[in-house]
Amino acid sequence: MRLDWLVAWLVLLPIVAGLLSLSVYRSTLRKALVLGTAAILAFMAVLLAAVTLGKGSPQGLDTAPWLSTLINWLDFALVAYFLYVGFRWRHYLVAGLAALQGVLLSLLEFWQLPHGLTVHPTFLLDPLASIMVLVISVIGSLICVYALDYMPEHEAHLHLERTRQPLFFCFLVGFLGVMNGLVMANNLLWLFFFWEMTTLCCYELIRHDRTEEAQASALRALWMNLIGGVACVLAMFLIYRTLGTLSLVAVVQEASLGGALLLPLAFLSLTAFTKAAQVPFQSWLLGAMVAPTPVSALLHSSTMVKAGVYLVLRLAPALFGTVLSSALAVFGAFVYLAASLLAISQTVSKRVLALSTVANLGLIIACAGINTDLALAAALVILIFHALSKGLLFMTVGIYEQQLGSRDIEVMEGLVNRSPVAAVVGIVGMLSMAFVPFGAVLGKWASLEAAATSTSAWFPLVAAFIAVGSAASLVFWVKWLGRLLSTVPLREEEKLEKRKGVYAYGTVLGLTGLLLVASVLVGGLVRELVLPAVTALGYQPQVAANWSGWGSPYGFFTVWPVFLVAGAALLLPLLTFRARREDYRPVYLCGENLAVEEAAFRGIGDQPVPLETGGLYLSASWGEARLNPWINLLGLMLLLVILLVAGVGA
Amino acid sequence: MNGTNGLLVLAVLIGVPLLGGFLRGVDRKLTARLQGRIGPPIWQPFYDFLKLMGKKTLISSRATLAWACGYLALTLLATVLFFLGQDLLAVVLILGFGGACLALGAYSVRSPYAHLGANRELLQMFAYEPVLLLTAVAIFLKTGSFQVASVFRQEGALIHSLWPTFLAVLAALTIKMRKSPFDIAASEHAHQELVRGVYTEYSGKSLALIELAHWYELVLLLGLVFLFWARPWWAGLLLAVFSFFLEILIDNILARLRWRTMLYFTWVEGMGLALANIVYLNLIRGLL
Repeated sequence: MRLDWLVAWLVLLPIVAGLLSLSVYRSTLRKALVLGTAAILAFMAVLLAAVTLGKGSPQGLDTAPWLSTLINWLDFALVAYFLYVGFRWRHYLVAGLAALQGVLLSLLEFWQLPHGLTVHPTFLLDPLASIMVLVISVIGSLICVYALDYMPEHEAHLHLERTRQPLFFCFLVGFLGVMNGLVMANNLLWLFFFWEMTTLCCYELIRHDRTEEAQASALRALWMNLIGGVACVLAMFLIYRTLGTLSLVAVVQEASLGGALLLPLAFLSLTAFTKAAQVPFQSWLLGAMVAPTPVSALLHSSTMVKAGVYLVLRLAPALFGTVLSSALAVFGAFVYLAASLLAISQTVSKRVLALSTVANLGLIIACAGINTDLALAAALVILIFHALSKGLLFMTVGIYEQQLGSRDIEVMEGLVNRSPVAAVVGIVGMLSMAFVPFGAVLGKWASLEAAATSTSAWFPLVAAFIAVGSAASLVFWVKWLGRLLSTVPLREEEKLEKRKGVYAYGTVLGLTGLLLVASVLVGGLVRELVLPAVTALGYQPQVAANWSGWGSPYGFFTVWPVFLVAGAALLLPLLTFRARREDYRPVYLCGENLAVEEAAFRGIGDQPVPLETGGLYLSASWGEARLNPWINLLGLMLLLVILLVAGVGA
Repeated sequence: MNGTNGLLVLAVLIGVPLLGGFLRGVDRKLTARLQGRIGPPIWQPFYDFLKLMGKKTLISSRATLAWACGYLALTLLATVLFFLGQDLLAVVLILGFGGACLALGAYSVRSPYAHLGANRELLQMFAYEPVLLLTAVAIFLKTGSFQVASVFRQEGALIHSLWPTFLAVLAALTIKMRKSPFDIAASEHAHQELVRGVYTEYSGKSLALIELAHWYELVLLLGLVFLFWARPWWAGLLLAVFSFFLEILIDNILARLRWRTMLYFTWVEGMGLALANIVYLNLIRGLL
């Protein structure tokens, strides 16, 4: 297939399907539409990866000039809409930022840029873009399919007169097309358009339930992301003044100009940080959890926040050897540490997941800042596996939420008995985030080794942040796992999995399978996908990878023995050991137990006292109220340092 | 894997627990003497192990047994990888996964004692894991590789330039060996506890497997200490033996402290030392 057709399919198909779904009120028709789009999109993404990897060199793609003009006008339409939103909800921060963006954009388009400026090429298709498209189109599509089960039940609780699903699926499916456009765009004006479109989709999806809380969270997400938009326009100003073009690839290639480009690069980093919800902007992502769970799954795993880290990775070669790069490493590692510490005290499952997302994105940014071939490989591995695991975990938590009617971790006690299938899937998801040899942690391992091998004077700080953050993440994952596992011997709990929705369970199980296969074959994945991307970015990878594992000249991780040993140790006893009823003993309660299957003991006057256990949250030490002011202050200061460093460098 | 490596793996699988069990016996005897008791025979840990293995399996949850197996298997794997000279950072991470299995097994049944123990086990991991990770980084700065094998290609002893890191490792070793003052999740046999925190719900075979895992873990940790003075080898051996007896002494002269103190000590003193060491080495590297 010709490349231009492929790109058109990847970008336009979800958008068209989304617009079509606006008029679809029959659920069978909607299912057909979403399933069809998902299947075609995933296929196209694989095709694109095959083509770009086969060609070897990055492929440029030009578009007709009228399209660029259209995009420019659509930019203004978006600004106008944001302005309207600002006034409609009397949120003058949104209105002000939108107005500022409009003014800056007008200045850029009508005053600075010559009429009919063409940027060659409009799209750039390289392995990095292909990896992103794969993540967006495969995982994102699965999440859309999952929503087919989730949304009807979600709406059943809301007692709506008329379903709002058409609007929901419009933005959910359309989001994928916008994201695909974003990661393939080379013309910064196009990138900016897609960037603002993701802000729009995000805003509309968060406010979908139309509650007061949802609206407030959506507006917060909007103003924070508009800051990023303003920074992006400023960056375009400076880039055009220096280079006379708005091509992303030119920015990276001309980075040897050094100083003059540092400031726009810092602005683009700021843009990326807002989208990736880095400290101090993390609150928009935490607020976004009020949205229906498929939205969280999509925002966290394959779209939105990934756009932020994508931009940083794209620009990493331009930063090579600069002080800005070191600053990014320190900033990212700090965010990793801060978000991991904050996650310890959270009792709401979705907040734990959200903070873990912020942490992992910080780690990816730290890797981009460390800026060696190993670090970039680590960043991509974390990106891919984080998308897989986090998509899975959000979808699973969505299932728990509908079964339990709560997002609280305490309520999930003993879920492994009450909802076995979903619980096991969730356990696999959490293990894959917290433990070697799963991909996300292998990425952490590689990032620590990369930090140690970098020559920057700041690396001890980066390494220390990663080490403590890594231990903190172990703590919050294990204690959550502990709540799921905690059961009472022989007690027949009420089963929650009465209805196993075929789309919800199908996608969750499918994604688990994908995650496990990718984890075992991580070495091959690194060799076939990640290393070509690192090479195409301009690094000379010394990273070695084969089907048994991967590593660098400094250390190698053989993956399969760990899977073999851990898998055998954990599964064999469960499969081979059959416990009879008389083998069970009650838990230790100083000998005052009532019965085996009774979680109660004899208290004062032999009265039965029910046994209760609770999770560990340590909110006195790592509570949000205590940590947040410091973390936000430090994050803000680091951001200022980044801008200052770049400004002085320029 | 070639023939030599195969033999080495076999030697580790069989030899390490023998050594570990023996050391545990020495520990119990010595501690008993320090406490004014006669103490069990040196070989008591092996008798205990055999006795526990022969017990009828009584459980409160099937998952507990699985996690105990996981703890043993991962600790064993970490030990094997360590003695094969593989990536030290990977060894530390796998050991961390193993330790988490121990906590997960305790969480697997709704038991207040086990849960308290598991929570505390997590806090212990929170304390020592960063120290061990930074130790691997510090060793890397001297040897230029994360592979354990590279330490033996190094001229001279690491401890000359890495002594602050070594002191940090000693703090982590106290926690990992479950010694006072940092035995907050549960103490080892020598203290004769009736309800042993994180081990409360483990019994019979699963407790035996955990004992076995402790033996591997002990030798692995002493191996880590050995690395600090790997050449000549007898100096490393002396260092390991010295550290072992030092931990027993500390165990017997200090009382259990609270978890906050543990975290404070390991992070400020332990990590502080390791970090200062790394910063210094990094400066040297930058100047050369």
